[in-house]
Amino acid sequence: MKLFGFYALSSAWLFSLLLPLILFYFLKLRRPRHDVPSLFLWRKVLEDRRVNSPFQKFKRNLLLLLQILLLLLIVIAAMQPYFRSRQARVHRLPVLIDNSASMAALDRPDGVSRLDVAREKVQTLIDGLLPDQELCLVTFARSAHKRTGFTNDRRLLREALDQVTVEDVPSDIEEALRLVQSLARSTPFDEVLLFSDGNLPPRVDIEMSFNLNYQRLPPAGANLGITSLNAQRAPERRWDVFVRVEGSSETATGAQLELRQGETVVASERVSVSRQDSQRVVFRVQGDQPSDIEVRLTPDSVDSMESDNAVWLHLPAARPIRAQVPGHLASYRHALAAIPDVELAAESAAAGEPCDLVIRDEPPGTGPTARTSLYIGCVPEELKPLVRVEPKPIEVVDWERNSPLLQHVQFRDVIVLEDPQSAPGTQTSQFENLGYAILAHGPHGPLILRRETPDGLTFVCLFHTDRSTLPYRIGFPILVANLVQVAMRHAGVAEVEAGRTGVLARTTVTAGAACTITGPGGVSATATADTHGNLAGVAAPRAGCYTVAVSGGGKVPVGASLLSAAETGLASVEQIEFSENLTVRAESASVKTEKPLWAALSLLAFVVMLGEWWYYQRRAG
Amino acid sequence: MPVLTGPTQLTPLLSNEAVARLERLRLNSSRRFTDKRRGEHVTGRGGTSIEFSDYRNYVSGDDVRFVDWNIFARLHRPYLKLYRQEEEMHVVLLVDASTSMLFEDKLDMARRLATALGIMGLFGTERVSVYALGHSAAGAQVLAPCTGRASMMKLFRAVEGLEGGGAEPLEVGLEAFLRRHTGRGVAVILSDFLTFGDLSRAGNRLFGVGLEVWGIQVLGPTEIDPDVTSDIRLVDGETRDTLDATCNADLLRLYQEYRADHERHIETLCRQRAGRFVTISAAADVDAVLFDLLRRRGWVR
Repeated sequence: MKLFGFYALSSAWLFSLLLPLILFYFLKLRRPRHDVPSLFLWRKVLEDRRVNSPFQKFKRNLLLLLQILLLLLIVIAAMQPYFRSRQARVHRLPVLIDNSASMAALDRPDGVSRLDVAREKVQTLIDGLLPDQELCLVTFARSAHKRTGFTNDRRLLREALDQVTVEDVPSDIEEALRLVQSLARSTPFDEVLLFSDGNLPPRVDIEMSFNLNYQRLPPAGANLGITSLNAQRAPERRWDVFVRVEGSSETATGAQLELRQGETVVASERVSVSRQDSQRVVFRVQGDQPSDIEVRLTPDSVDSMESDNAVWLHLPAARPIRAQVPGHLASYRHALAAIPDVELAAESAAAGEPCDLVIRDEPPGTGPTARTSLYIGCVPEELKPLVRVEPKPIEVVDWERNSPLLQHVQFRDVIVLEDPQSAPGTQTSQFENLGYAILAHGPHGPLILRRETPDGLTFVCLFHTDRSTLPYRIGFPILVANLVQVAMRHAGVAEVEAGRTGVLARTTVTAGAACTITGPGGVSATATADTHGNLAGVAAPRAGCYTVAVSGGGKVPVGASLLSAAETGLASVEQIEFSENLTVRAESASVKTEKPLWAALSLLAFVVMLGEWWYYQRRAG
Repeated sequence: MPVLTGPTQLTPLLSNEAVARLERLRLNSSRRFTDKRRGEHVTGRGGTSIEFSDYRNYVSGDDVRFVDWNIFARLHRPYLKLYRQEEEMHVVLLVDASTSMLFEDKLDMARRLATALGIMGLFGTERVSVYALGHSAAGAQVLAPCTGRASMMKLFRAVEGLEGGGAEPLEVGLEAFLRRHTGRGVAVILSDFLTFGDLSRAGNRLFGVGLEVWGIQVLGPTEIDPDVTSDIRLVDGETRDTLDATCNADLLRLYQEYRADHERHIETLCRQRAGRFVTISAAADVDAVLFDLLRRRGWVR
């Protein structure tokens, strides 16, 4: 591969100007005549110079040589030569730019962000783009975006580059590489350039058909941030708020942590954290009424990222859950009555009253509904082709011990007088296709199933617990307590967690309402709630407090402010391991583009012209 | 150069005021080459002027009119009172009228200076003659030797009528002049001295016939400071020979060095022959040259 090339090789025809230049010089068509009184002195001077000067022939035609040199420089400059670099040999080059949250980190106070550094390097690439080269800009954070196709349109590339901004979300390089992999199918290329601060997973499970040039950006300054914020129900209608603060510095750094409930600062505490030693802080706040809390971190010293210093969390009122159980299910009513924070509806409660938990021994769809339901002794309509119940005593064969419903529940020695049997040839996948997950297995079929739909969470017990020894076992109150916990969690009154950036946490509004979501950094979006009033899937690329404005009136604040711990920690990997033992190390040398030489040659030509002028026009001192 | 005209103007070469001032100036020769004719120049020999020189013992045959009787009365011994001899000096004005002098009014300047020096000579009761050098008629005499202020107008007309043109070298002109010249005094050569020949022989012969050699080199402004750049073809004004040159600062610096060397050579040639030398620009103010430069240099007093 040649080291030099020319952008405008066609300008080489200008070399033909050498011919008239030399011709005119030697013909001396218009050598000006200058009358002098006598050649007496001039002849002596010229003879003296010829005798005493070396390189006579050279000096005699020095003006011609200078003019030839000047013309050559101008012509070569017009041909726009350049010096090729390694990158210049690539004809198509996808450029991956990490724009995750950690790329916003500054190197020093009022310094430049990692993204600015990456942008500057890509700008250099664009500036040095050859006519036969094409770049494709791809940015990736939580998801990858192709900013441009393969193009050598510098203006288009610059505009696309200018539009790249940091998203306060973790990076997912796998998706970016998959996107590039898909590009390679239609437009082959050999190399991909990756600009990142190194805040990437050390192992990536993807096979690449190209070489990855990993350009790790210089490290950022120290950073402190909140990486976790959640609240759990505490006695006496209170909430315990848990905050975790992590840092990227090797040495301990102090900060002031402040918790606001509404507009009031309710707690404040000093923290000191380092990379190895994070700190968890617990605040207890009142939960009588729903409230919004804001936890803000104020570092004592340099902090390279702002986006992880404030987290918002909406705390619902710490109310008891409402459970509705028919009167003939005395065992359940008895067990529920013993659990605090459960408001058991009267036996004669109307079917339309709102409740959080329903326990019935009728098939779903025949009675009151709630977000969490337990149906016992019945087979849902859609399962009837798959299961039939035979009156036959059986024992529980196996159950999901990690399921929230069955945690610490012991089914051993429980006798069940009904035997749900799967239809011949029925596969487990058929239940899964209907949305059911099997939590407990009998000898001939499933015993307990779980189904989660947008309407809520449904547990189906295919046998009637009253026709088993379960109510007499210690596992029964545990099962009911687990059910209450699940119901509370589902109702959002047991534990709440601050929303992470990326996607806005599911919000409940009026069913079918059109909503306008506004957020930090001018983020704005519209969405429509589903028939159950759930608003989900709204992008939240920036950390902060979002406002969901419902068309019928009312606004709901939703926080989406937690970054991942890896982003806050500004961890940087030196190498990335891929499938098939492929390891890509960070390149020590920065990307070099081809160097256009026309400017230097033009400058040189100007210097030669000045030199000629100075040599021939200057006055003797 | 302005031409002075007017009904009362004595000559277009010099203003009347300048002529009036010149009448009071005298040429200041250094070696006192004089003719035997009586003049204003005091010689080393004893003479009959009124200026006292010395005493000496009376010897037989001395004119008793020069005995100092006062001393004789006191000492009773005769002593002869000696007086200085005042003789005439021949001022020869040699104007180079070759073609090279036609450049940039060099000949005009030479004519003006010749006129001025001639006025000084005439008013100093010297014999003044003018010769034009460089003509094909070698050593053409423009003004025959003359004396007295009555010859001033003759001098004016002669110099005014001096025409330039000719390619005869200066040394050839000087040789031709020497063949017809008689008399001692001062030879003032007004030329650009740009000649390929050797002036030493002519200088020796001038000195040998009793003439102080005064050289006045008249150069044009572009000869003193050439304004030439890049590739040019130099054309000799007299011979029309050409010389191609690529002019640059080095070449111009070399030219200045050579010009200075040439001036030093001519000056040495003059000084070794009891003479003087000066270089002036043709564009210089003639009054400044006459009443300032030449007076400061001791050429006139």
